[in-house]
Amino acid sequence: MKIRRKTIMMTSILIMVLIWGFIIFTNVSSAMEGLDLFIFTLIILIAVIALIQALKTDKDEKAGLPADDELSTRIKYKSGYYAFLVSMYMWLFIFLFNDKFPDNETMLGGGILLSALISFIAKYAVTHKFNE
Amino acid sequence: MPLPTNLMNNRIKELRARHNLTQLDLAKMVDVRRETIVFLEKNKYNPSLKLAYDIAAVFKLTIEEIFIFKEN
Repeated sequence: MKIRRKTIMMTSILIMVLIWGFIIFTNVSSAMEGLDLFIFTLIILIAVIALIQALKTDKDEKAGLPADDELSTRIKYKSGYYAFLVSMYMWLFIFLFNDKFPDNETMLGGGILLSALISFIAKYAVTHKFNE
Repeated sequence: MPLPTNLMNNRIKELRARHNLTQLDLAKMVDVRRETIVFLEKNKYNPSLKLAYDIAAVFKLTIEEIFIFKEN
Protein backbone atom coordinates (compact mmCIF):
# COMPACT_ATOMS: atom_id res chain seq x y z
CA MET A 1 0.00 0.00 0.00
CA LYS A 2 2.85 2.32 0.97
CA ILE A 3 4.69 1.49 -2.25
CA ARG A 4 1.56 2.12 -4.36
CA ARG A 5 1.02 5.52 -2.74
CA LYS A 6 4.66 6.39 -3.42
CA THR A 7 4.28 5.38 -7.09
CA ILE A 8 1.15 7.51 -7.50
CA MET A 9 2.93 10.47 -5.89
CA MET A 10 6.02 10.09 -8.08
CA THR A 11 3.93 9.74 -11.25
CA SER A 12 1.86 12.83 -10.34
CA ILE A 13 5.02 14.85 -9.71
CA LEU A 14 6.51 13.67 -13.02
CA ILE A 15 3.36 14.60 -14.96
CA MET A 16 3.16 18.00 -13.22
CA VAL A 17 6.82 18.76 -13.93
CA LEU A 18 6.42 17.78 -17.58
CA ILE A 19 3.23 19.83 -18.05
CA TRP A 20 4.67 22.90 -16.28
CA GLY A 21 7.94 22.51 -18.15
CA PHE A 22 6.10 22.35 -21.46
CA ILE A 23 3.92 25.39 -20.63
CA ILE A 24 6.88 27.45 -19.43
CA PHE A 25 9.02 26.37 -22.38
CA THR A 26 6.38 27.25 -25.01
CA ASN A 27 5.70 30.64 -23.35
CA VAL A 28 9.27 31.61 -22.68
CA SER A 29 11.18 30.04 -25.57
CA SER A 30 10.05 32.73 -28.03
CA ALA A 31 11.32 35.47 -25.71
CA MET A 32 14.57 33.64 -24.95
CA GLU A 33 17.42 33.17 -27.29
CA GLY A 34 21.02 32.04 -27.37
CA LEU A 35 22.59 31.30 -24.01
CA ASP A 36 19.36 31.67 -21.97
CA LEU A 37 17.58 29.11 -24.12
CA PHE A 38 20.57 26.76 -23.82
CA ILE A 39 20.63 27.06 -20.01
CA PHE A 40 16.86 26.58 -19.76
CA THR A 41 17.03 23.46 -21.95
CA LEU A 42 19.91 22.17 -19.80
CA ILE A 43 17.87 22.63 -16.59
CA ILE A 44 14.95 20.66 -18.05
CA LEU A 45 17.31 17.95 -19.37
CA ILE A 46 19.04 17.51 -15.99
CA ALA A 47 15.70 17.46 -14.15
CA VAL A 48 14.39 14.74 -16.48
CA ILE A 49 17.58 12.63 -16.14
CA ALA A 50 17.48 12.98 -12.32
CA LEU A 51 13.82 11.98 -12.28
CA ILE A 52 14.41 8.93 -14.48
CA GLN A 53 17.23 7.82 -12.16
CA ALA A 54 15.04 8.32 -9.09
CA LEU A 55 12.25 6.25 -10.66
CA LYS A 56 14.71 3.49 -11.59
CA THR A 57 16.08 3.36 -8.03
CA ASP A 58 12.53 3.31 -6.67
CA LYS A 59 11.63 0.40 -8.98
CA ASP A 60 14.72 -1.56 -7.87
CA GLU A 61 13.91 -0.98 -4.19
CA LYS A 62 10.37 -2.23 -4.78
CA ALA A 63 11.80 -5.37 -6.38
CA GLY A 64 13.78 -5.96 -3.17
CA LEU A 65 17.18 -5.07 -4.62
CA PRO A 66 19.73 -2.90 -2.83
CA ALA A 67 20.16 0.71 -3.95
CA ASP A 68 23.94 0.29 -3.99
CA ASP A 69 26.29 -2.66 -4.27
CA GLU A 70 30.01 -3.24 -4.91
CA LEU A 71 29.81 -2.69 -8.68
CA SER A 72 27.66 0.45 -8.50
CA THR A 73 30.01 1.87 -5.85
CA ARG A 74 33.03 1.24 -8.12
CA ILE A 75 31.22 2.83 -11.07
CA LYS A 76 30.35 5.80 -8.87
CA TYR A 77 33.98 6.31 -7.78
CA LYS A 78 35.33 5.92 -11.30
CA SER A 79 32.76 8.21 -12.92
CA GLY A 80 33.24 10.71 -10.08
CA TYR A 81 36.95 10.86 -10.88
CA TYR A 82 36.35 11.45 -14.60
CA ALA A 83 33.59 13.98 -13.94
CA PHE A 84 35.89 15.89 -11.58
CA LEU A 85 38.72 15.92 -14.13
CA VAL A 86 36.54 17.09 -17.03
CA SER A 87 34.77 19.67 -14.82
CA MET A 88 38.13 21.17 -13.83
CA TYR A 89 39.02 21.78 -17.48
CA MET A 90 35.51 23.09 -18.14
CA TRP A 91 35.86 25.64 -15.31
CA LEU A 92 39.28 26.62 -16.63
CA PHE A 93 37.77 27.39 -20.05
CA ILE A 94 34.81 29.17 -18.49
CA PHE A 95 37.14 31.50 -16.59
CA LEU A 96 39.37 31.96 -19.65
CA PHE A 97 36.39 33.07 -21.72
CA ASN A 98 34.49 34.85 -18.94
CA ASP A 99 34.06 37.95 -21.13
CA LYS A 100 31.72 35.93 -23.38
CA PHE A 101 29.11 35.69 -20.59
CA PRO A 102 26.63 38.53 -19.98
CA ASP A 103 27.10 38.42 -16.17
CA ASN A 104 28.72 36.41 -13.36
CA GLU A 105 25.44 34.71 -12.32
CA THR A 106 24.95 33.27 -15.81
CA MET A 107 28.57 32.14 -15.91
CA LEU A 108 28.46 30.38 -12.52
CA GLY A 109 24.95 28.96 -13.01
CA GLY A 110 25.87 27.65 -16.46
CA GLY A 111 29.08 26.15 -15.08
CA ILE A 112 27.25 24.34 -12.28
CA LEU A 113 24.67 23.03 -14.74
CA LEU A 114 27.38 21.81 -17.10
CA SER A 115 29.14 20.10 -14.16
CA ALA A 116 25.90 18.23 -13.41
CA LEU A 117 25.56 17.25 -17.06
CA ILE A 118 29.20 16.10 -17.16
CA SER A 119 28.65 13.88 -14.11
CA PHE A 120 25.63 12.21 -15.78
CA ILE A 121 27.58 11.68 -19.01
CA ALA A 122 30.60 10.31 -17.09
CA LYS A 123 28.38 7.85 -15.21
CA TYR A 124 26.71 6.72 -18.45
CA ALA A 125 30.08 6.30 -20.21
CA VAL A 126 31.73 4.42 -17.33
CA THR A 127 28.72 2.11 -16.95
CA HIS A 128 28.72 1.22 -20.64
CA LYS A 129 32.48 0.85 -20.97
CA PHE A 130 33.09 -0.87 -17.63
CA ASN A 131 35.36 -3.88 -18.10
CA GLU A 132 37.73 -4.85 -15.32
CA MET B 1 54.49 -6.00 -22.37
CA PRO B 2 50.80 -5.12 -21.98
CA LEU B 3 49.05 -6.29 -18.84
CA PRO B 4 46.56 -9.11 -19.41
CA THR B 5 42.96 -8.20 -18.71
CA ASN B 6 39.86 -10.26 -18.04
CA LEU B 7 41.56 -13.50 -17.16
CA MET B 8 38.51 -14.71 -15.28
CA ASN B 9 35.67 -16.70 -16.83
CA ASN B 10 32.62 -17.88 -15.02
CA ARG B 11 29.75 -20.34 -15.36
CA ILE B 12 27.08 -18.18 -13.73
CA LYS B 13 24.80 -18.05 -16.80
CA GLU B 14 24.94 -21.81 -17.27
CA LEU B 15 24.36 -22.58 -13.58
CA ARG B 16 21.56 -20.03 -13.34
CA ALA B 17 19.79 -21.70 -16.26
CA ARG B 18 20.31 -25.12 -14.67
CA HIS B 19 18.75 -23.93 -11.40
CA ASN B 20 15.89 -22.11 -13.22
CA LEU B 21 16.87 -18.78 -11.72
CA THR B 22 16.40 -15.41 -13.35
CA GLN B 23 19.03 -12.68 -13.05
CA LEU B 24 16.69 -10.89 -10.66
CA ASP B 25 16.31 -13.99 -8.47
CA LEU B 26 20.06 -14.47 -8.22
CA ALA B 27 20.60 -10.76 -7.57
CA LYS B 28 18.12 -10.90 -4.67
CA MET B 29 19.75 -14.05 -3.26
CA VAL B 30 23.23 -12.52 -3.17
CA ASP B 31 22.00 -9.00 -2.35
CA VAL B 32 23.33 -7.13 -5.37
CA ARG B 33 21.74 -5.15 -8.20
CA ARG B 34 20.61 -7.01 -11.33
CA GLU B 35 23.16 -5.06 -13.39
CA THR B 36 25.95 -6.67 -11.38
CA ILE B 37 24.77 -10.13 -12.45
CA VAL B 38 24.60 -8.92 -16.08
CA PHE B 39 28.19 -7.61 -15.88
CA LEU B 40 29.38 -10.84 -14.23
CA GLU B 41 27.79 -13.00 -16.92
CA LYS B 42 29.41 -10.90 -19.64
CA ASN B 43 32.80 -11.30 -17.89
CA LYS B 44 33.05 -7.55 -17.58
CA TYR B 45 33.47 -7.52 -13.84
CA ASN B 46 35.52 -9.62 -11.45
CA PRO B 47 33.56 -9.93 -8.20
CA SER B 48 34.86 -9.44 -4.70
CA LEU B 49 35.74 -12.55 -2.74
CA LYS B 50 32.57 -12.15 -0.66
CA LEU B 51 30.30 -11.97 -3.71
CA ALA B 52 32.08 -14.94 -5.31
CA TYR B 53 31.58 -16.87 -2.08
CA ASP B 54 27.87 -15.90 -1.90
CA ILE B 55 27.30 -16.98 -5.52
CA ALA B 56 29.11 -20.27 -4.88
CA ALA B 57 26.93 -20.84 -1.82
CA VAL B 58 23.73 -20.32 -3.88
CA PHE B 59 24.79 -23.00 -6.36
CA LYS B 60 26.28 -25.21 -3.60
CA LEU B 61 29.62 -25.34 -5.40
CA THR B 62 33.12 -24.12 -4.65
CA ILE B 63 34.40 -20.79 -5.97
CA GLU B 64 36.88 -22.60 -8.24
CA GLU B 65 34.08 -24.56 -9.87
CA ILE B 66 32.27 -21.34 -10.88
CA PHE B 67 35.07 -18.88 -11.51
CA ILE B 68 37.75 -20.18 -13.84
CA PHE B 69 41.08 -18.42 -13.91
CA LYS B 70 42.73 -18.57 -17.34
CA GLU B 71 46.50 -18.67 -17.13
CA ASN B 72 48.55 -17.40 -20.05
